[in-house]
Amino acid sequence: MAAALQITDLTKRYPTGTEALKSVSVEIGQGEFFGLLGPNGAGKSTLIHCTTGLASPTSGAIRIFGDDAIDDYGAARQRVGLAPQELNLDWFLTAQETLDYHGGYFGMAKKERRERSRELLDAFSLTSKRDERTTALSGGMKRRLILARALMHRPQLLILDEPTAGVDVELRLELWQYVQRINQEGTTVLLTTHYLEEAEQLCSRIAFINGGEIVAEGSSHELASTYGVASLEDAYLELVGRKELSRASVAEMPA
Amino acid sequence: MTAAQIRFAALLRREVSRFMKIKRQTIGAPLLETFLYISVFGAALGSRIDELEGIDYVVFIVPGLIMMAWAINAFSNNASSILQQKMQRAIDDQLSSPASPMELLLAFSFGGFLRGMVVATLTFSAASALVGIPIEHPLVLLPALFLVGFFFAQVGVLVGIRAEQFDDLSFAQQFVMQPLIFLGGVFYSASLLPEPFETITQLNPVYYMIGLVRYGFLGFAEESVALSLVLLTAATAALFAVNLRLFKAGHRLRA
Repeated sequence: MAAALQITDLTKRYPTGTEALKSVSVEIGQGEFFGLLGPNGAGKSTLIHCTTGLASPTSGAIRIFGDDAIDDYGAARQRVGLAPQELNLDWFLTAQETLDYHGGYFGMAKKERRERSRELLDAFSLTSKRDERTTALSGGMKRRLILARALMHRPQLLILDEPTAGVDVELRLELWQYVQRINQEGTTVLLTTHYLEEAEQLCSRIAFINGGEIVAEGSSHELASTYGVASLEDAYLELVGRKELSRASVAEMPA
Repeated sequence: MTAAQIRFAALLRREVSRFMKIKRQTIGAPLLETFLYISVFGAALGSRIDELEGIDYVVFIVPGLIMMAWAINAFSNNASSILQQKMQRAIDDQLSSPASPMELLLAFSFGGFLRGMVVATLTFSAASALVGIPIEHPLVLLPALFLVGFFFAQVGVLVGIRAEQFDDLSFAQQFVMQPLIFLGGVFYSASLLPEPFETITQLNPVYYMIGLVRYGFLGFAEESVALSLVLLTAATAALFAVNLRLFKAGHRLRA
């Protein structure tokens, strides 16, 4: 059985000379909930952009369910749904049109698009806003719509690039319930987040990325033991060289 | 419909829906502008210039105005649509879909092409109601208009891809497109100009486009119709090839 995502020796060098990814290799199995953690500028988004065709790799290979993401990009992208970090909705479209056009880009027939968009608008509590232009939606609603858009064509691999940045607790829990449910139904999930407790609760496996390299990989317990600390948070602080910020260190500080 | 046909239809619908949602700006304003030209140059100046090359002056300028309407609208639609989507990053939704570079380029191209066609058709219909506009050579006129529309649609795509801010579009339109079109003989015959202005006009590629369209409508040509058609076809094909290369490389579209 082919891996949901297999990245081999992926290097991305920007024209400025910055090497955002340095021979990265990582494999995500089908049905996994995989977390990718790292500080800002570590290479998380670049890895996602290379996987989804928004950036061109300098070298290396990316396979999505066995399909080459460069040579056979049509088949590969058909299986991927991307909810990006930016609220990149088209200002000219309504919520309903956003989903409908996206479905069209992925070759869904009209009837299927209508049914699927109705289902997703309902699932993300956007039905009453279906005819509103995206500019009229609140930040939380835009975030929901972006997730609905990523799911519109029923992707087998869902990529969530910091999907809960700046959203309220209620929406965050609602989103995770939905994502956990589709993961249980078989959708593979790749998540990047700055909320370590989210990654700890949701992800079966986590990779730390720093300076364009995967530096550690495993379950949250395995990562903690790799760094010889008690929790994922402490392991992360070791990774970014800020162990003085760990809860244990803070507790030991004189009042 | 196949998945590829659905995808192309969705990409094109998005482009058409964009200009139809702001039709006062994209259709109404250019139509009014063309009418102002007909009024000022046709009615006011036309009362002093009775005929040009044996043709009523108002009738003489209408083919050039129709071509100008198609050209400017095809250009500005594509340039602004691409730049706007790049700035919002909404274009990522199309770029991360299975759509091929050819599908993306054709959809963007025909978006502007169709807007130009709508404005040009409305201009022609209204002008025909005011003054009789003959169509002497429809077999030259139709390919000539198609090529002119498609050529400027390609120029719009090229500028949209290259542009980083709206100032870049204004520069291209105000400092390159408008002078070339105005000095290409929309309002006069080059043979009436003193030297060196006649020779300078003959170095302007738009002069040959206006000549072709004028020949199609009025049967009057200053230059070889066949040669103009061949050169325009070659220029359009070359520009299309350049744009396709840019889309394939993801130039200023993908990181």
